[in-house]
Amino acid sequence: MAINLKELVNSDASLISRRVWSDEAVYQLEKRAIFGKTWLFLGHESQIKSAGDFVQAYMCETPIILARGENGDIHASINSCTHRGLPVCRSDHGNTKRFICPYHNWSYSVDGSLVTIPQERAIKCKPDKRELGLKKVPRVETWRGLIFGSFNEAIEPLEDYLGDMKFYLGAWIDRFPGGIEFIGSPHRWVIDTNWKLPVENQLGDVYHGPHLHASIIAADSEAGIEIDNYAYNVVPTKGHGASFRLMPEDTPTDKIAWGFETPVGQLGSDELKNYLRSVQATAEAQVGPVRARMKGLAYGVYPNLSFLWSNAGFKVSHPRGPNKVEYWSWSVVPADAPEHLKQQLRNNHASFFGPGGLLEQEDSEAWIQQNIGANIDFADDRMLYYGLGLGEETTHPDLPGTVTTGANEYYARAFFQRWREDLLAEVDG
Amino acid sequence: MSALERQYQVEQFYYREARLLDNREYQSWLALIHPEIRYSMPGRSNPMVNNRERGQQDMISVERELEGLDSNGLPIRDENYAILWLRVDRAYKMNSWAENPPARTRRIIGNIEILDDDGDTLQVVSNFHLFYARPGLRDFFYAGQRRDTLIRQDSSFQIRCREIVMDMADINVPTLGLLL
Repeated sequence: MAINLKELVNSDASLISRRVWSDEAVYQLEKRAIFGKTWLFLGHESQIKSAGDFVQAYMCETPIILARGENGDIHASINSCTHRGLPVCRSDHGNTKRFICPYHNWSYSVDGSLVTIPQERAIKCKPDKRELGLKKVPRVETWRGLIFGSFNEAIEPLEDYLGDMKFYLGAWIDRFPGGIEFIGSPHRWVIDTNWKLPVENQLGDVYHGPHLHASIIAADSEAGIEIDNYAYNVVPTKGHGASFRLMPEDTPTDKIAWGFETPVGQLGSDELKNYLRSVQATAEAQVGPVRARMKGLAYGVYPNLSFLWSNAGFKVSHPRGPNKVEYWSWSVVPADAPEHLKQQLRNNHASFFGPGGLLEQEDSEAWIQQNIGANIDFADDRMLYYGLGLGEETTHPDLPGTVTTGANEYYARAFFQRWREDLLAEVDG
Repeated sequence: MSALERQYQVEQFYYREARLLDNREYQSWLALIHPEIRYSMPGRSNPMVNNRERGQQDMISVERELEGLDSNGLPIRDENYAILWLRVDRAYKMNSWAENPPARTRRIIGNIEILDDDGDTLQVVSNFHLFYARPGLRDFFYAGQRRDTLIRQDSSFQIRCREIVMDMADINVPTLGLLL
């Protein structure tokens, strides 16, 4: 069917059609207009520390090998043999000198160059191997060890793309003098939902917490009260989002320090608590007085990267068609924390927001049920309402970007305004 | 006690545990859990095989696929009594939406093998098949192995340590947060 984008999302994006999440034609357009054009998250440098280290990644549905080359460079190559198209790497991670295609054993170095064609000896006209390497992702850049790739050769530099999102990401990452480390392999699981629904959830949907998760986080809990009093949603650039509490200056350390908010921190050893206090003690020196008072909630980087502050996870929502997602979620810890404390801190993620997570199970249930609602018939005249706080967005002297209270849905309107612009640009060409 | 009697006793313990969980009698189930329990589910990935491992058992061992229990990798779950208590507690709340209406489960526990018994403590492995139906969605199938440390308690046991190895290639079930 032909898509009328202006009918899918109204002008201020306060009304959105269910087809945005469920239509196959919309999804095919998203692939070209968004996943073919933007920066996409691939992984973190701590996953590929040594020459020959590699991990798997995805850019939308396209499989990528992310590897550290002999000279320390980072390479992102499409995991598909130039000869017959098979994946040349079948492992999730490891260290190697060569990727070897199973079918005829064409072999590639970790930077994607074609090294050997075993059949070459038996033919006279030799192919030019320099032309037959794995297809490279044309742009790969990093910020704070976070590696992004883009299929768009002309895209702006990553740091410009992130813009003021760096201020908010840095509020967490930069408080650790040694930076951050992605620990182990990501959790990967399949959810019957559209890729944008997990993204929206973490882009600024602060107020689902005390409702959807009320069995764990009651509205009158400390977190619920802090959200009522101190929560901000900020849109640094349309499509990105940061939600957090900006705590008062006289807040006691244990009520603000990262890591204290979860059962892992609350029930943790004195040693763990003292470590978390020591991080907070140097936070002002590391990130300045405003960001040291930030107690984050969740972030989103356009189009499909999310970050959870308290439970310390980076997440990517990889589309698998309009109605399926392969969700990847990494546990992140301070790189210079003692190893045994990292092992405790990783459970902030695992038992709460991994596929067996106490809180995740309500989130994925909501995303599945939303997606059911996005697929129903006879309700196209009842667009979904994204208008809470329409026109109430403002600015704040200490917070770069467009600022709203926690209940305002500007974060989602801004996302869908950008989404519509990206799709229109592709259609109008 | 003969080896047969001991085997019977352990099997009966697991059957009772499965019945409590399938009947959603989670608070009764919690009484089978030792206060010092470590309850874990390792992550499972496919690491690249080193050429030098060719022809060796290690190349295809299950253990090399598991991560995050004693290493720096990432487990799917690594929990103590407090977290299991939270999981049990939420089952009795109306607003635990992932379990409202509650899932229907049926566990089959088998291949129960006592690997070691020092008189007080037993090392036991068992397999499970779990049918899981969530009303409004569809039916799911879980399979895996449990590696338990049981402590003798009067005429029965308490679970001191449980490591759950899941067998699915892709995690395509609604949750791995079940009591398994």
